[in-house]
Amino acid sequence: MGVNKFLIDHTRCIRCTGCETACKTNNGVPTGVRRIRVVTVNEGKVGERNIAMPCFHCYDAPCVKVCPTRTLYKRGDGVVNHTKEKCIGCGYCLVACPFGAPQFPGGGIFGTRGKMDKCSFCVQPFNQKDEQGNMIENEPIPMCARFCSTKALLGGDSTEISKQFRERIAGFISFSF
Amino acid sequence: MGTAFRDIKISRRGFIKASAALGAATALGSYAGSKNFNPAEIFGTAQATPATTVEKIKSICSFCAVGCGYVGVVEDGVFTKMEPWEDHPINQGGMCCKGTSLVDVTNSPRRLRYPMEKSGGKWNRISWEDALDKVGGKLKGYRDNGEPDSVFMCGLVHGSNEEAFMFRKFAMLYGTNNIDHQARLCHSTTVAGLLASFGHGAMTNSVEMLTQSKIFFFMGSNAAEAHPVLMQKVFEARDKGARLIVADPRFTRTAAFSDMFMRFRPGTDIALLLGIINVLVEHDWIDHDTVDYRTYGFEQLKEVVKEYTPEVVEDITWVPAFDIREAARLMSDNAPGAVIWSMGATQHSVGTYIIRAFAILATILGWQGREWGGGCIPIRVHDNVQGATDMCVLSHFLPGYYGVSSASSWEYWAKVFSETTSTSGNISASTLASRYTTFTNKEGVETNLQLTPGLTVSNWYKGALMQPVSEIDQPTNVKMAMFWGESISSITEMKEQKKALEKLEMLVVVDPFPTAAAALPERSDGIILLPAATRQEGGGSVTNTGRAWQWREPLVAPLYESRTDMAIIKELAGRLDMGNHFDYDSYEAVTAEINLGSRAIGNQGETPERMKRQKEYAHLFDPKTGKAQGGPVDGEWWGLPWPCWTESHPGTPVLYSDLLPVSEGGHDFRGNRTYPTDEPNAGRPMLREDEPQYGTQHVPQYSENGVAYSMDLTGAIVAKALADGNPPTGRGKMRIRVFEQTDKIPIHREPIESPRPDLVDKYPTYPDQPHLYRIVNCEFETEQQRSIAEKRHEKFPIVLTSGRQVAHHGGGAQTRSSELLSEITPEVYVEINPHLAAGKDIREGDMVWVESARGKIKVRAKITERVNDQTAFVPFHWNGVFEGESYQDRWPENTAEVVVGDSVNIITSPGVDQVTQMQETKVALCNIYKA
Ligand code: SF4
Ligand code: SF4
Ligand code: SF4
Repeated sequence: MGVNKFLIDHTRCIRCTGCETACKTNNGVPTGVRRIRVVTVNEGKVGERNIAMPCFHCYDAPCVKVCPTRTLYKRGDGVVNHTKEKCIGCGYCLVACPFGAPQFPGGGIFGTRGKMDKCSFCVQPFNQKDEQGNMIENEPIPMCARFCSTKALLGGDSTEISKQFRERIAGFISFSF
Repeated sequence: MGTAFRDIKISRRGFIKASAALGAATALGSYAGSKNFNPAEIFGTAQATPATTVEKIKSICSFCAVGCGYVGVVEDGVFTKMEPWEDHPINQGGMCCKGTSLVDVTNSPRRLRYPMEKSGGKWNRISWEDALDKVGGKLKGYRDNGEPDSVFMCGLVHGSNEEAFMFRKFAMLYGTNNIDHQARLCHSTTVAGLLASFGHGAMTNSVEMLTQSKIFFFMGSNAAEAHPVLMQKVFEARDKGARLIVADPRFTRTAAFSDMFMRFRPGTDIALLLGIINVLVEHDWIDHDTVDYRTYGFEQLKEVVKEYTPEVVEDITWVPAFDIREAARLMSDNAPGAVIWSMGATQHSVGTYIIRAFAILATILGWQGREWGGGCIPIRVHDNVQGATDMCVLSHFLPGYYGVSSASSWEYWAKVFSETTSTSGNISASTLASRYTTFTNKEGVETNLQLTPGLTVSNWYKGALMQPVSEIDQPTNVKMAMFWGESISSITEMKEQKKALEKLEMLVVVDPFPTAAAALPERSDGIILLPAATRQEGGGSVTNTGRAWQWREPLVAPLYESRTDMAIIKELAGRLDMGNHFDYDSYEAVTAEINLGSRAIGNQGETPERMKRQKEYAHLFDPKTGKAQGGPVDGEWWGLPWPCWTESHPGTPVLYSDLLPVSEGGHDFRGNRTYPTDEPNAGRPMLREDEPQYGTQHVPQYSENGVAYSMDLTGAIVAKALADGNPPTGRGKMRIRVFEQTDKIPIHREPIESPRPDLVDKYPTYPDQPHLYRIVNCEFETEQQRSIAEKRHEKFPIVLTSGRQVAHHGGGAQTRSSELLSEITPEVYVEINPHLAAGKDIREGDMVWVESARGKIKVRAKITERVNDQTAFVPFHWNGVFEGESYQDRWPENTAEVVVGDSVNIITSPGVDQVTQMQETKVALCNIYKA
């Protein structure tokens, strides 16, 4: 068994943004906060490609290293998660992250910068606590990947998704010769 | 406000839960579900307790016609979350942003909550009884006055098959053919073109079968944005080496994945296709097994395409001759292939002929009629637009494609309405006929309006604005219009529509959202809004683009005071003394009536029980073919795609393919035509000439004693055909030459507004047509010449085309009311090429005017190479701004959409298709300048 990972097949992503809204629908993420965002390069030209960018749940995660309050932490299953309660909204993780994953809701009750929110591999919704105030903890099954319209975004156990991807490529190779 | 929400069957806590799941923190103030909506206000005090019941219900997406499945999570009667339906054979769980926003759309606080009436310049809340009495009373008044054609009804494209059927039946029994729906604007030309060519007017393959294609030719389809999940199947085929050719005026998101891209001038589709066919003919890259025995008119085609050499076509279309040759070579090297199109091809004044050219291309290459994976793939747009088309919410057909102009169609349906056990009513054909009026037309000819196709979605406003008898084939104007889940911003000539909406005596909007139809007209009285339930709150069957029927159970009860379409139709029918024809006790009872009556396309096998069983056993269906292996559904095709001849027939996955015995889903070109009078074998049935793999040779469409299989309520004729191993439609020929149309073989004709007057001389549009869909003189040539006389090509030198954005749907009332989707695509824009923009000093983000001979719209500039420097593109989902002026304040309070924008259909072309009145939104002339 491997750890939890995302794999993005940029030859398939069509920027339907189904992953973005699947995430919001199921995690109650407010507008302005994008746990996953699809970006396009070379828009309108030959070479146009779309890439869905969640948090990549780094092994040696820079965000975890720099977080002064230990809001960010690495779980045994590979998920880099956060405890909102501890966050002071300094934004250092955003500086450290190579991918721009950490999000900061503006204004509202959290003050000007807001407490950090980021992709939790669907372990926790935006509101981390349920109605009784208990911490929610779901299985790490990312809705974005499960709902991906073209299966461009694979998410889950790294051994399993690399197998799926290899099968896809093997299929292509076997038909090309 | 307690009693206000008597129809809500959800608990107070449940609703709070919904808003909580949706809008994590109301305090953030920026979340869907939280704005303008305070649950405590509605339910009294708010308290939070855990959900006591959690249900997971399989359902079908209610946006586009790909027909994706999902699992709705319903907590205490509230739709709160979604889970992927991973063994659904069409989408395998995948959904685009519209699909995954269904929770947000359903629970949108912007929905219409109760019936409203605009009177004295204000929106007032009224009761259902009051509202229905007013609408019913008005309808009754016109009918009792002998003026049923004063009414125009349109919509039900987002209803179930059952509700679409009921709506069509409602108009039939009421006494008018002035009933139509969005299919007129989506694929009416597809239906006309394919029906004339093959015998049926629908997509020839199931969606699943696309995985079997070796090449895709996208022309006028930007599937990556318009039908995202369909691309899953395309990519699966690509993984096995399939190629992609995209022909489009824009380098679309779909084009980004192509092996070959051809940018062509909007409106020159036929020239490009004939150019490709010219090369195929020249090299004899023709599938003679198909062409020699199973088609009619190939020799005449050869004559016509002779003059369309790649060089000639290059001048017309902008596509280099080399590319045309290369495309032809790719197509002939990779079979079978699928020609995929959508509104880019259908919305033209020559739309029907473009579709016929597709049918010809697919057939002569041998893609059509043989192997799986090949064929004609018109991707339909709304979740049930195929179903509403089949139920014929159309002004020229009765349910199941029985033409209105034939008295026998009416006799047949009167019999069905009487014989069905689903309702108590009886009606004779003569009583039915007596409800229709006759009048003397402009030329003094007595016209029976029962047998005359009615007004359409694209010309309804003419019915309200033009002079009866002298300009429209009606004794009266349209004085009342009902927009039932129909968006006016997807219809062209919005300025004229606005005038028409203002002139009506009564305007009725039935919709979950008020929509622009309610807000656009500047009138102080006479608008009634009826809150309809969404598809998540109603049940019944829904037909996807691949003719597959899927059953939907309501996830939740209708929110607020809204009611299902079925309930509303029943109430109105009751007020018109037609209630005994609508006393169905369930959706299933309506399905039974459809199963009984819709025989031409074989809807006998799509029973609710079978659809529900398929839903239960979805995991047994192979997503690569759609066929079930094992279990109680063994051998069935997903969705029992029609024709599904009997209750034991598995459905027909690929129309016209004779690879399988008919009992397993095989089919053939329809054998209901005879050779025309200018042929040596005139009057003889047109039948395939080779021996079929299965069944027998020389079989015309089945009939007995002059009764066609399609009108035999006993089913005996169908049974005989199946016993013979033949489709009841016989074994006929694909018609390359269609003798009843103006262009027997499709030829290039310049669009109504052409940037090339020199080519208009050579390839003029059609002569004006008399008496077309109630228009006394439908202008084609006159309008085209007007454009030239006014020198529009000089004043407006840029070709304007329109299309879709992935996050929005149709006129956008649902999607622009969703904060999730509004966040993804918050604005309308015009795409301008960097060269053109530089010349006009327009920079990214500037507000610009886009002006045509009809008017001008104010939108943001998006500088991109998607378009070339002679083309501009504006998406059409927008309204709320009219020629730069916002009219958001005309929506009832708290219902205006989250994001608004100017409507491109204010400035699109006045052109319509010569056969079906499809509007020509894809080519107009415009100019752009800084605002
Ligand atoms: S937030 Fe950035 S640095 Fe941290 S785990 Fe995710 S991708 Fe890596
Ligand atoms: S759902 Fe899949 S295809 Fe669509 S944008 Fe996300 S990653 Fe791309
Ligand atoms: S809109 Fe179409 S492609 Fe998107 S989820 Fe719904 S059915 Fe599927």
